[in-house]
Amino acid sequence: MRSLDIKKYVLYFILMSMTGIIVLAGQAIGLQKQFIGAIPGMFLIIILALGCFAVKEAFPKFPLPAYALSTIVGMIVSIPALSISKFFAPQIGTVEFMPLCTPLLAFAGISVGDKIEQLKAMSWKIVIIALVVFTTIFFACALIAQGVLRLQGAI
Amino acid sequence: MNKNTINVFLVVTIISLVCEKVGKIQLGKVALFPMLFAVIIGMILTPDLLGKKIKKLRDIIGEKEMKIASDMVMLILLMLGIKLGTFVGPNLDKIIQAGPAFLAQEFGHVLAPLVAVPLALKLGLTREAIGAGSSISREASLGVIGEKYGISSLEGSGVLGVYLAGTIVGTIYFGVLGSLAIYTGIHPLALGMACGVGSGSMMTAAASSLAEVVGPQYADQVFAYASTSNMLSGLTGVNILVFISLPFTEWYYKKLSPKFLKKEVKQHA
Repeated sequence: MRSLDIKKYVLYFILMSMTGIIVLAGQAIGLQKQFIGAIPGMFLIIILALGCFAVKEAFPKFPLPAYALSTIVGMIVSIPALSISKFFAPQIGTVEFMPLCTPLLAFAGISVGDKIEQLKAMSWKIVIIALVVFTTIFFACALIAQGVLRLQGAI
Repeated sequence: MNKNTINVFLVVTIISLVCEKVGKIQLGKVALFPMLFAVIIGMILTPDLLGKKIKKLRDIIGEKEMKIASDMVMLILLMLGIKLGTFVGPNLDKIIQAGPAFLAQEFGHVLAPLVAVPLALKLGLTREAIGAGSSISREASLGVIGEKYGISSLEGSGVLGVYLAGTIVGTIYFGVLGSLAIYTGIHPLALGMACGVGSGSMMTAAASSLAEVVGPQYADQVFAYASTSNMLSGLTGVNILVFISLPFTEWYYKKLSPKFLKKEVKQHA
């Protein structure tokens, strides 16, 4: 168990809030969804996300990455049978999914900028192999899932 | 808050809002979403591309800004994880019902070497084929291959190459795959599971494109299935690679490579 670095968390809170504002502005512009009304939901998302980060920092040996942990936390606060979901689920529901991805991927695009030269050095062949690997795995998993879901009578 | 952070946030704000304003673009059967333009524009603005030509741009998006951007990816992924989790909660009973399918589809990963290894050999690679063909090459695979062969080995460059290619074009490719796959006639829920095979951003791109084309009837379930399968891949991926995929790829490579090498010799003779 390590002690919390308060300064860092304050900074992260500010950075995530700035991202939150971009997201809410994005959903207002792109989907004509509410901005002000979604602020509490965004706040809850940020607090829960920071919580997951803090848990991972406190227990670095915990086997799951913080991202997986956050998915589990999101799941738990939205299980209809649990009474906390009445508080969390409707609020978080006001934040749309797609506008949340847009700044994420803008940051992701910027962050990989310096790897393009490295990739060029490896030549186009590796890109083709990568795409073939992705396509094979995607459809192999989809077909197996389809088969088993059919067997179960789920679809 | 320093100048670099402000730079990168200003740029991301502009990219995001412009992309949201433009909205979805339909090119025939392929739907392109704001998030896909965002990743492309982000890459174009970096020093290796447009920054090479325009000096001014390098002052705005440089090394430090790229570093901040990659820290931000980690933080926003946590926010995204929370939101994705809220698709899972209400669908939990359906997911438990579909449990066997979730576990079985993980074995789809084993099929990659079957196709990728011969292709890599055909393209003239040697032991890079083992690293490149054995898995979808995300962080966990880098770790496994790096530990076993050393990241600077031929196998290491193979896995690193696919990793980099995935980082750069993977999001875009999965985004397109997600919207096109529905025309194969595979059920939306099976495709939803398949959306979870790669990284968090790949899953996001694939699942949101798929959710859009299947419509509101399946959308929430698609997200729930995709994020659950993504979570499972994170848990089972390493084990499948270590115990099944990698030994198989090694064996398969040894079987195939003499044939390809012989062909090379014949061609040269």
